[in-house]
Amino acid sequence: MEAANPSGDLSAEMEVDAFRRLFPLRFFDRHLVESIRPDGRPLGRARDTTLALGAVASADGSALAKIGSTTMLAAIKLEVMTPATESPDEGSIAIDFHMPPICSPMVRPGRPAEAAPVISKQLSDTILSSGVINLKELCLISGKAAWMAYLYPEERNNMNLKVDKLWNFMITIVDIYCLDADGALFDAALLSAIAAFSHLEIPVVSLDEDGRVVILSQDEGLKTSNEPVNAEKRKLTLSDIPFSLTCILYKNYILADPTAEEESVMETLITVVLDSSYQLVSLYKPGGSVLAYTSALQDCIALTRHRVQELKKILDEAMSEMEVD
Amino acid sequence: MSGKGGSAPHPTTYSPSPQNQKRPKSLIFKDNVDWVRPDGRGFQHCRPAFLRTGAVNAASGSAYAEFGNTKVIVSVFGPRESKKAQMYSDIGRLNCNVSYTTFATPVRGQGADHKEFSSVLHKALEGAIILESFPKTTVDVFALVLESGGSDLPVVISCASLALADAGIRMYDLVTSVSVSCLGKNLVIDPIFEEENCQDGSLIIACMPSRNEVTQLTITGEWSTPKIHEAMQLCLDACAKLGMVMRSCLKETASSQE
Amino acid sequence: MVMEVDRVDGRTPNQLRPLACSRNVLNRAHGSASWSQGDTKVVAAVYGPKAGTKKGENPEKACIEVIWKTKTGQSGKPEKEYEMILRRTLQSICLLNIHPNTTTSVILQVVNDDGALLPCAINASCAALVDAGIPLKHLAVAISCGVVESGYVILDPSKIEEQKLKALVHLVFPNSVPSVHPKESSRVGDEPKEHGLISSVTHGRMSVDDYLHSLERGHAASAKLSAFLRKNLQSQVPSNA
Repeated sequence: MEAANPSGDLSAEMEVDAFRRLFPLRFFDRHLVESIRPDGRPLGRARDTTLALGAVASADGSALAKIGSTTMLAAIKLEVMTPATESPDEGSIAIDFHMPPICSPMVRPGRPAEAAPVISKQLSDTILSSGVINLKELCLISGKAAWMAYLYPEERNNMNLKVDKLWNFMITIVDIYCLDADGALFDAALLSAIAAFSHLEIPVVSLDEDGRVVILSQDEGLKTSNEPVNAEKRKLTLSDIPFSLTCILYKNYILADPTAEEESVMETLITVVLDSSYQLVSLYKPGGSVLAYTSALQDCIALTRHRVQELKKILDEAMSEMEVD
Repeated sequence: MSGKGGSAPHPTTYSPSPQNQKRPKSLIFKDNVDWVRPDGRGFQHCRPAFLRTGAVNAASGSAYAEFGNTKVIVSVFGPRESKKAQMYSDIGRLNCNVSYTTFATPVRGQGADHKEFSSVLHKALEGAIILESFPKTTVDVFALVLESGGSDLPVVISCASLALADAGIRMYDLVTSVSVSCLGKNLVIDPIFEEENCQDGSLIIACMPSRNEVTQLTITGEWSTPKIHEAMQLCLDACAKLGMVMRSCLKETASSQE
Repeated sequence: MVMEVDRVDGRTPNQLRPLACSRNVLNRAHGSASWSQGDTKVVAAVYGPKAGTKKGENPEKACIEVIWKTKTGQSGKPEKEYEMILRRTLQSICLLNIHPNTTTSVILQVVNDDGALLPCAINASCAALVDAGIPLKHLAVAISCGVVESGYVILDPSKIEEQKLKALVHLVFPNSVPSVHPKESSRVGDEPKEHGLISSVTHGRMSVDDYLHSLERGHAASAKLSAFLRKNLQSQVPSNA
């Protein structure tokens, strides 16, 4: 690279690593002119992405997602809840995104990362407004009986269901841990959360003596006197799964799926979330010195469309691998 | 637009998981010599260990350790600038922190008292690091317990020394750590979560195997002197073996990089 | 075009609520402004530039810090998100090289929320920055567009309207500058600069066309907003001097 430099500035006399640290913008400019990025990717290409379902044994659903070296571990635990009065036939979703100090030199213990609550909020907004999870499916005892029991409490005794209608719903608590932060955190976090949802199973439950809902493990189910109140484990049906792609706008370039270094050097980020039927779930551009024109926005959306196809395939493959096991 | 759920403070909830801890099944055979451990191991057998360095790219050095169900990641940052409030120091500083994920334990968010773990980790490692080699600066050792399956602290300590080696921090030797639980008359090495819950006493040793030096020794609960001797010897032997496993893990990484 | 969208307060789809802006409303702040759109009202105060930046920030540039105060209750994740969007939006309109290694604090107090809260806060803080004399590249105007089920776009929705929407789009544009040099490079490519988007935040699911449509409508309305802002700033300059 240095040899091809006719202008004779410092880069000719300096080691590449030193030049990269001292003049990061010029270092990137030099690459972008050649339509390539320092890690060898073309501008519009995302890094290699892998998914592993069921990474956490103690969780009801879990997944490990890697985009380049950015690593996210998502785990879902189910808890029993009473539905809110304004939506009596729905369960609930709570999402928490954590950045422990192991993930990045910027995060110190006791001083939580500024980005964490913002990404948490973005994730719950995206997942709730995409409608990927039907909250009505988070009902423990699906079907009419439970519904009736709710509508006519006085008739509850007539039915052989002792279940308290109030404790008939599940709240899915999604905890996402960033294990390695190297850019595009939201994309990786969303992917891991979606994958964990597709791995989630609603377990077989029964009621114990106190009327509390208890999970039956397979062998235990035969021994106990308590009859299971729902027939079998089931998965949630995910409709219109949202996938996202973050791009950097820099001069007239659009760089897909930036690394942490790229994010820190070129500050204008834009995140597009499309669902599997290509509806727009979110278009997020929080400021940045580069203005986005309609043509650039459309380019970002086109890149995201392409990425949705890639990610859909990766998710399908991960799920079919699970079924083989 | 769906504005419901999510951020709204959800009503009180409970976990439907059966409470294993309420009825400990293992206690019945405390004094029975024929007792078999829940995972079928012999009393003096450690769990199979999986170790790998370079788990976190953002860190100067890192390691992942998996002992049975105990899964731990440790990242090392630095040597880097000390916090501004600290005074000049001829030797380097070591800063340790241990935290748990919310799903590490069967009931969400019931991580152990890891405040204490941070200081124990600090003490276990400090003696092995050549602090003179990085004056004025700080090395940060951060551990995250992904899943807690018993013997968490010894796994964190061993994993941390591996991460320090990966970061190229100069040490006198690797620190390896193993614990033993006393269950009635039996001594079991590398106890799992269920065994730790009904133990009478616990002994944790952190040592530098090639120098045969102990950096940290913690004994809690009820012990007799001969039992302590027996347990220490058990631990030291296991530490020596673990040291060899860790060494070969480092060699593998080094040779694969060439 | 179908004009069958009935708005609760009888506005036409393109009609904004009455705007009001007054500057220098607080004595102790270096600059302040209150901005209201209908019943939504936000007060912004600017302190600074003060010496030094926070650890980890680039000392070669000025740093902007945003603190969001809710009307009642504690601040949580939504407020953290507002702070981040505001900070990054304001950073992109300020000339950060003029006062390196300084921090300017912008504090926003929500007086009343009746929809389009974030755009209202951005407009308020922009006016407060001008009042404090912080050097800016240009002004920013923020507008909120609601997409109703049929795909029709209404501007500046109120809280009741927001709840019925399919999707909500908050947009921030640079203000249109009546340039002294008409051939000045305020055009980027074939699009004039004020067509560029500084910030975009959306809620809800919509088609890409719905979004592009809102962008167009939002942009058309931003001209009105920036004319109001300019008129307002000009009228107060002599009285302050």
